Amino acid sequence: MTIDVDARTSGGARSSVGARLADLEISRAWLVDPASGREGPGEIVVTDGVLEAVTWLEGVEAEGIDASGVIVAAGFIDLHAHLREPGNEDAETVATGLAAAAHGGFTTVCVMPNTTPALDEPSVLARIRDAAAASGLPVALLAHGAVSAGRAGEQLAALGELADAGVVGFSDDGAPVGSASLFRNALAYAGMLGLPIVDHPEDAALTEGAEANEGLIATILGLRGWPRAAEADAVARDLAILADVVGDVPGARLHLTHLSTAASLAHVRLAKAAGLPVTCDVTPHHLALTEEWLAGARRWSWEALDDDGVARDHWRDGAITAPPFDTSVRVNPPLRSAVDAAACLAALVDGTADAIATDHAPHAEVDKAVEFGLAANGISGIETALGVVLAAVDAGRLSLATAIAALTTGPARVLGDREPSTRGLFEGESANVVVFDRSATWRVTPDALASKGKNSPLLGRDLPGRVLLTVAGGRIAYEAADD
Amino acid sequence: MITDPALAAPDELLGAGPAADPVAAAGGGDNPAPAGLWRHRHLLDVDVLTADELELVMHTTATMSEILARPIPRVPALRGWGVTNLFYEASTRTRVSFEVAAKNLSADVVNVTASASSVTKGESLIDTIRTLEALGARMLVIRHATSGAPWLAAETFGGSVINAGDGLHAHPTQALLDLYTMRTHLPGGSVAGRKVVILGDVLHSRVARSNLWSLTASGADVWVCGPVTLLRGFEAWAAAGVAGTRQFTATSDLAAALRDADVVMALRIQRERMASGLLPSLREYAARFGLTRARLATARPDALVMHPGPMNEGVEIAPDVAAGTQSVITDQVANGVAVRMAILYLLAGARGAGE
Repeated sequence: MTIDVDARTSGGARSSVGARLADLEISRAWLVDPASGREGPGEIVVTDGVLEAVTWLEGVEAEGIDASGVIVAAGFIDLHAHLREPGNEDAETVATGLAAAAHGGFTTVCVMPNTTPALDEPSVLARIRDAAAASGLPVALLAHGAVSAGRAGEQLAALGELADAGVVGFSDDGAPVGSASLFRNALAYAGMLGLPIVDHPEDAALTEGAEANEGLIATILGLRGWPRAAEADAVARDLAILADVVGDVPGARLHLTHLSTAASLAHVRLAKAAGLPVTCDVTPHHLALTEEWLAGARRWSWEALDDDGVARDHWRDGAITAPPFDTSVRVNPPLRSAVDAAACLAALVDGTADAIATDHAPHAEVDKAVEFGLAANGISGIETALGVVLAAVDAGRLSLATAIAALTTGPARVLGDREPSTRGLFEGESANVVVFDRSATWRVTPDALASKGKNSPLLGRDLPGRVLLTVAGGRIAYEAADD
Repeated sequence: MITDPALAAPDELLGAGPAADPVAAAGGGDNPAPAGLWRHRHLLDVDVLTADELELVMHTTATMSEILARPIPRVPALRGWGVTNLFYEASTRTRVSFEVAAKNLSADVVNVTASASSVTKGESLIDTIRTLEALGARMLVIRHATSGAPWLAAETFGGSVINAGDGLHAHPTQALLDLYTMRTHLPGGSVAGRKVVILGDVLHSRVARSNLWSLTASGADVWVCGPVTLLRGFEAWAAAGVAGTRQFTATSDLAAALRDADVVMALRIQRERMASGLLPSLREYAARFGLTRARLATARPDALVMHPGPMNEGVEIAPDVAAGTQSVITDQVANGVAVRMAILYLLAGARGAGE
């Protein structure tokens, strides 16, 4: 089955990135729309950038359409990406980062403020927005401002001015807010402004010099252990302070990013049950990759568990297929065990985790082509997120609806549902849509990645769910080349 | 077999008759090593060595020991080969051992001591290795404070890489010389079924990690022992087994570990373990885990005492134990040269055959 997704611009010519989508009709596709709670055969029509019609097909008309072919969903929202500009344009620029986002199906990207200089006052945000405008790409760029001035963890950044300038939250990501006192004040002050603190939970005293998740793989490879407790105790601290602050400042909100362990997610589950205003996200790599990859295994996390949910033996299984110490799998937080990855997947299913955020962390080759212990942390992941998540769906670990919700309605909720058009297929709104072919694979290669960061452990792998078209704000953000 | 004309034939190596096999000539005729077994381009760790390959290394080492016993312990096997010792960590003994080994084989040796500051100056390991290769290195012996660095070197370097110790991870030539030393002293010449105790700072020990692979592959009953803070992770590894099947024991119960041991290997305790809060004091360590004469008496009467060096006498090992009749510590040093000659020789042959 082939579907014509040729998008035409107003001039009737072949579409081009950045142009308003004049006319698009996708018939006989599988629509997934968590915003309306619906999933099934349908059609969409976009006219002059507006999602004019969403039609659900039934009966005879729906015959032969299933979820294995072309899928249409609202454009994805990434709560956590590093676009490196200003300061590290060798690794990524706003323009290449937004192009990568569009290739990955994302129509909204929240950038993290760990740039140089840090995004701790409005002029840096203005510079980033200028770069986004100059890129000509329609992907919406949102920003988290820094919690502390210069991300130094000592005094508050210009939170009020940043809020006035339109940031969507505050984070010192890359590092935790180490001082409990500063964290408490930030949570309260940001709460007054109606914005969340987005914390990177890590107890730095437990992770000094750490290289790999503490466990069998780190022990065997002689890598310094990164204990799970370093995340869980930071989460526990954050939640305890949130519980304290929220009594006085009802608007206080906490978002915990890139949770990676079963224990941290258990803390969040309890806190949500107690009614605390907390949300969290998990990354595609913590769902699907494990610490085994440091030793050279290249199987998905769910393939590394036996039927009883116990991690299988790496060496006995013959799972080691690549050399050890590949720096592309060095990331903070580190890849964890298969049991932790299963907990991340389960957290999406039961709603403990609100969103999948990519933590897209592009790096220049020189920062990765070094000894493992000296390599920069991070995975270039915004373009592979959909494929990795679909692999989990294919393996039966997530439903397609849960996966799409974690990329659309979930992150929209974390952002306070400010712009409805970004989270669902709403007729009459400016079109934010991704169209992908679930049965078509694409090979991850350096050339295939629009990001400047080629630091992906998935290079050489075929991923499902080739993106055919991404439309953001009624304009074309990405369109696959004809084969 | 060895086809590189630059590499001396085995018979020439020993100066024996035309058909003499180095192994047979060394008197290892009871258990001849399978010929042509060596298939590795690099020696990064011992985990990849099969029992047969370990046997080949042992027999080749015996040949080299015989060469070392000569008045002029030098053979032309690696004449014209550039061997570069690239040491990012200070280490006199291992560096000198490799240097002597390479010179005994008539290789051209270059020593490079790279300070950690060259890293902060932005000189990358890859750059350095490309430079050394352009300067004629065909074999690279590398020591590095970062676990895994030799794997990066092996990806870059066109010749053979020998890991002379990487971070906490591996020290394959030490494990091989330990195995050789045990075999030459244990009755029957085998470690199979023998209880080998590795005692001390196991957590930070690349010697312990490499020995786990080679000793369990050789059938030894391996025990690792130390305070729990220096054993972290090894209990779980012991439970999982090495490579899934070969078991070993991890315990903080020194008495249980030493009981009826055939070999006791003490590991160096470093002062920085106190600074990082892993141990209360050296005094307390010595009192609880130091290898004393009284404790050694609970092992087998003829138990071997080993130490990879350098020793803190009076801390992890009592001076009278280190210098006692059961100590084979100086043999370890001498055997280190023979093992490294064997590895250089085997790798040169593999490179020759592979080109």
